[in-house]
Amino acid sequence: MEKIIEIADLTFHYPQQDSELLRQVNLTIHKGEWVALIGHNGSGKSTLARLIDGLLVPTTGTLKIGGTILSDASVWQIRKKIGMVFQNPDNQFVGANVEEDVAFGLENLAIPRAQMQVRVKEALQRVNMWEFREHEPARLSGGQKQRVALAGVIAMRPEIIILDEATSMLDPEGRKDVIKIIQELSQAGFTIISITHDINEASLAQRVVVLNDGQILQAATPQTVFARGEKLLAVGLDVPFSEKLKVALSRQGLHVPAGYLTEEGMIDWLCQSISKT
Amino acid sequence: MSIHFKNVNYIYQQATPFEQQALFDISLTIPSGSYTAIIGHTGSGKSTLLQHLNGLLKPTSGQITIEKQIITPTTKNKALSSLRKQVGIVFQFPEAQLFEETVLKDIAFGPKNFGSSEQEATQLARQMAHLVNLPEELLEKSPFELSGGQMRRVAIAGILAMEPQVLVLDEPTAGLDPRGRAEIMEIFQALRIKQHLTIILVTHQMDDVARYANHVIVLEKGRLLASGTPTEIFSDPDWLRTHHLALPQATRFASALQKKSGFEFSKMPLTEEELANQLVQQLGKRG
Ligand SMILES: Nc1ncnc2c1ncn2[C@@H]1O[C@H](COP(=O)(O)OP(=O)(O)OP(=O)(O)O)[C@@H](O)[C@H]1O
Ligand SMILES: Nc1ncnc2c1ncn2[C@@H]1O[C@H](COP(=O)(O)OP(=O)(O)OP(=O)(O)O)[C@@H](O)[C@H]1O
Ligand SMILES: [Mg+2]
Ligand SMILES: [Mg+2]
Repeated sequence: MEKIIEIADLTFHYPQQDSELLRQVNLTIHKGEWVALIGHNGSGKSTLARLIDGLLVPTTGTLKIGGTILSDASVWQIRKKIGMVFQNPDNQFVGANVEEDVAFGLENLAIPRAQMQVRVKEALQRVNMWEFREHEPARLSGGQKQRVALAGVIAMRPEIIILDEATSMLDPEGRKDVIKIIQELSQAGFTIISITHDINEASLAQRVVVLNDGQILQAATPQTVFARGEKLLAVGLDVPFSEKLKVALSRQGLHVPAGYLTEEGMIDWLCQSISKT
Repeated sequence: MSIHFKNVNYIYQQATPFEQQALFDISLTIPSGSYTAIIGHTGSGKSTLLQHLNGLLKPTSGQITIEKQIITPTTKNKALSSLRKQVGIVFQFPEAQLFEETVLKDIAFGPKNFGSSEQEATQLARQMAHLVNLPEELLEKSPFELSGGQMRRVAIAGILAMEPQVLVLDEPTAGLDPRGRAEIMEIFQALRIKQHLTIILVTHQMDDVARYANHVIVLEKGRLLASGTPTEIFSDPDWLRTHHLALPQATRFASALQKKSGFEFSKMPLTEEELANQLVQQLGKRG
């Protein structure tokens, strides 16, 4: 498999802080992989995303994107390969209206005008915001802003897509929609890093990377990471509902299976238990 | 403080080509001391409605009564200054309400602005920062050099420091990690009980609605679709589905379990504790 992001012995220190925030980060991401980046508030997720996008420069260590070392000379070329949805969408709007805003990212890629219009329309339709194309981005609702920010990245079709909590303000249906879009992009071969506190989103990724106080604590399949059970809270994820129910049931004195059960597994177990009684 | 909306309409950018009506003929009551949740789709008008609660937006027509204060389209801002001390709003995007040089000054701004001495305000700010779990070393930093979740905590602490009687929360836990989310929700609940606050919460987290609210208002495309207790609102999964609304996890699980037969729920559970209770009862009764 082709390596698309290679992070080696990276440390990072904000000038305003007295100590290193990221320490000894080593991580390789392959082309077409979907990685969920999780961790508690302040663990360094957004900082790592900004380093990958070349918005911040590592204190020590190296970052390679598509085999090229990220440096002052290569950053502009590399940034064209990366599309990022920021944690606060207000920080990325530049256009006077929604349509122009989504088109803006394409102008930098020198895409012919006719093709640009098609892509912008498709992207806005995909997130159900085409009818808002003439609205000013700043004058949208919170969830509408997040959808438009995502459309900007979809239209650009960059090799690497970084989503920094891109579903945090969406209604439950909108969240499902966006997760489906991420799935489709992943199947189409895009490399995706999604930063999230949502266990449903993380469960669909191929790999979950746990950042804890600036260090990578674990990088494994979702199942392996979710086996932490109640300890998931410490690394910025919620406990799966089936685990919460198990805890509530055992508090009531019921014997519950020891291992991790999915919701379907839990339903099957309950159905068996009641048929035995 | 009880709150009444009477035939409220709100139109953004009225009389321009961009005119857009966001609220349509809203009449509703938020009882004093209630924990009211407002739910609804993206763009359904939740944030617009909230901003009417301290006169940040004024109705295009209709009126709002908050205790004795009446807000109409022509109410002057001057008349609203006492209301702004009593009604504290945590905005959907925390950056929108941060502006001071340091975190501590930012949290202290509200109380200072409403007449506390510098010392009192700073002390209160420290107390609130501690309450929302902001580490001490962040207090002298710029609020704009924080992580998303840390900014959120600063915005919440700033509003709590105003000691409002009505706490208005627009998705206050978006961006918080689940542990932080639970902690912050418990803080609001404790304040409500201790200080008899009225809480108005906009959220997409149906589990929080089920656990904390005693009154739910549902908006759809700027109109009032329904209001009632969480039990009433979540009692009809088909109705919720038609209106693209989600169920709390426990209710969704119970409804899936019921379909597979064996279990019957006379009252749909709203939380995992209620669900566990009913499951144990049914397993016990047969056993
Ligand atoms: N511009 C900045 N200048 C100085 N320190 C910063 C800056 N941005 C973030 N920090 C600090 O670096 C740490 C990591 O922040 P980061 O935004 O990477 O966290 P995060 O994992 O994305 O958290 P969250 O889940 O809250 O968004 C925090 O303690 C934060 O205060
Ligand atoms: N400042 C504004 N100017 C013009 N239109 C606006 C403005 N703010 C919101 N709107 C529009 O008014 C409608 C209601 O928006 P509002 O922000 O109240 O929705 P919401 O229910 O809070 O949604 P969300 O869950 O996405 O935050 C939306 O269609 C939105 O585009
Ligand atoms: Mg972040
Ligand atoms: Mg809103």
